[in-house]
Amino acid sequence: MQTAAAVKQKKLKRNVSYALFAAAVVFSLWYIQFSFSEFISGIPIFLHFLFTDFLPPKASDLPSYLQPVLDTLAYGVVATVLASIIGLLFGFLMARQTTPHPAIRTVLRGFISLLRNIPFLVWASILVVIFGVGSMPGIFSLILFGSGFLARVYAEAIEEIDSHATEALDAMGAGYLQKIKHAVIPAFIPGFISWTLFMFELSIRASSILGLVGAGGIGSQIKLTMDLFQYNRTSTVICILIVMILVIEFMTKRIRERLI
Amino acid sequence: MKKIRIGHKSTQRQQRWFVGLMVILFFPCFFYLKLDLNQFKDGLHQIPHIANMMMQMSFDQFPDLMDGLLTSLIIAFLTVVISVVISFFLAFVIATNTAPVPLLAKIIRAIIVIIRTIPVTIWVLLAVASIGFGSMAGVLGLIFPTVAFLTRVFSDQIDEAGKDIIEAVKAVGGGWWNLVFNGVTPQLMTAFLASIAFNFEITVAETVILGIVGAGGIGVLLQEYISFYDFKPLTLGILIVFITLFLLEMTTNLIRLRLSGRGHK
Repeated sequence: MQTAAAVKQKKLKRNVSYALFAAAVVFSLWYIQFSFSEFISGIPIFLHFLFTDFLPPKASDLPSYLQPVLDTLAYGVVATVLASIIGLLFGFLMARQTTPHPAIRTVLRGFISLLRNIPFLVWASILVVIFGVGSMPGIFSLILFGSGFLARVYAEAIEEIDSHATEALDAMGAGYLQKIKHAVIPAFIPGFISWTLFMFELSIRASSILGLVGAGGIGSQIKLTMDLFQYNRTSTVICILIVMILVIEFMTKRIRERLI
Repeated sequence: MKKIRIGHKSTQRQQRWFVGLMVILFFPCFFYLKLDLNQFKDGLHQIPHIANMMMQMSFDQFPDLMDGLLTSLIIAFLTVVISVVISFFLAFVIATNTAPVPLLAKIIRAIIVIIRTIPVTIWVLLAVASIGFGSMAGVLGLIFPTVAFLTRVFSDQIDEAGKDIIEAVKAVGGGWWNLVFNGVTPQLMTAFLASIAFNFEITVAETVILGIVGAGGIGVLLQEYISFYDFKPLTLGILIVFITLFLLEMTTNLIRLRLSGRGHK
């Protein structure tokens, strides 16, 4: 049972949080000089732009996009394979059961969180400065981001493994590598496959926007056509992108069902 | 991950399949890309130089960066507020046990799938192309994917909430509005708040980079520094972004923990 005072206090608390919320909204609108009338009128402009300038997609030059599509797929494969190798190494060093030393685990966790929390497009733009425009910065930023992501999820997958098997092997006097080989890896494989496939999906999505900072892939076509104001070609590229992402999602889903 | 034999047969099969697939796909793709070794070497020579410049961190741009960061946060905040309002209603329209018109629900679901397939960055790019540079374009571009995401999450949560409460409201003669506001919402409030917190975290991470395509916020500054080879303030900018995202991740984790703790009571 709640007393009247408690109810009153709760009500007060709720009112205060509403007031704070309202204040935050007002402050935000004022700070970026957001005008609702302009915003509301922006929506029709946006939709008009979408449906007249943008659609219908120009289907005539479909074959010319084969090259960027292949590029994007190749980025995805190469980045996923290399990132999964690096991620595995880091993942095993980071997971609680398999880390050689707790200090290594802490240091690597910090390092990986630095990798992950710096946005991917920032990495890509820095790498474009280092390696110049082309496919190299694209792949490297995918690998950089991907290894961070995979190391973390691999480590979590390893930590989730039941400790019975490792304890049993411990009791039998198995060594470090033997434990990994016979207890950790068999239980870890489904997680490994699932996350690696997910990374492939992510890298296809990501390589579609890599082109925006000059790192190749199908995103460069989006930027190119938009810079030339050929919006119906942009919509063709985006349609290709949608189809590609859907097909890959479908395929990875099938592989997952078959293997796990 | 190469050739580790284990007794378990299906594990072995899975491994062979998957590793084989990876290797078979990797080599043709690798050679297809024709990565230039010289470009790689040149790049490696650049790294110490750039790293050296980045080490000389300068605080001159600190006020500008904080201003950019605040703008980014505000863009994310407004996007989430507007999107929550829209997707709250859309979710009730498409959730299978509350949908007033099943056909409409199906159409909206299909649209949501399409919206979610297009990367967020491209939505913002389109918004920038139609209404010009600035924070408004950022909000407008972000609203589409955010609404799509939240609508799906909310409607899943409504579906999961089960039929009991809906039947109860219907049995006492409550209409659709009663169902939404007196039946489902009070029960799902914590679940909704948790997903909103999660969504805010994602949206902030996105707004930070969206400046790169011209949607205002700290990303614009980062992009400028990079394109002018001005690496001294860049380090500070990256550090600010990193700390912000890190703190945000911790805060939302805390909020979710508290909310779920309260939900279990």
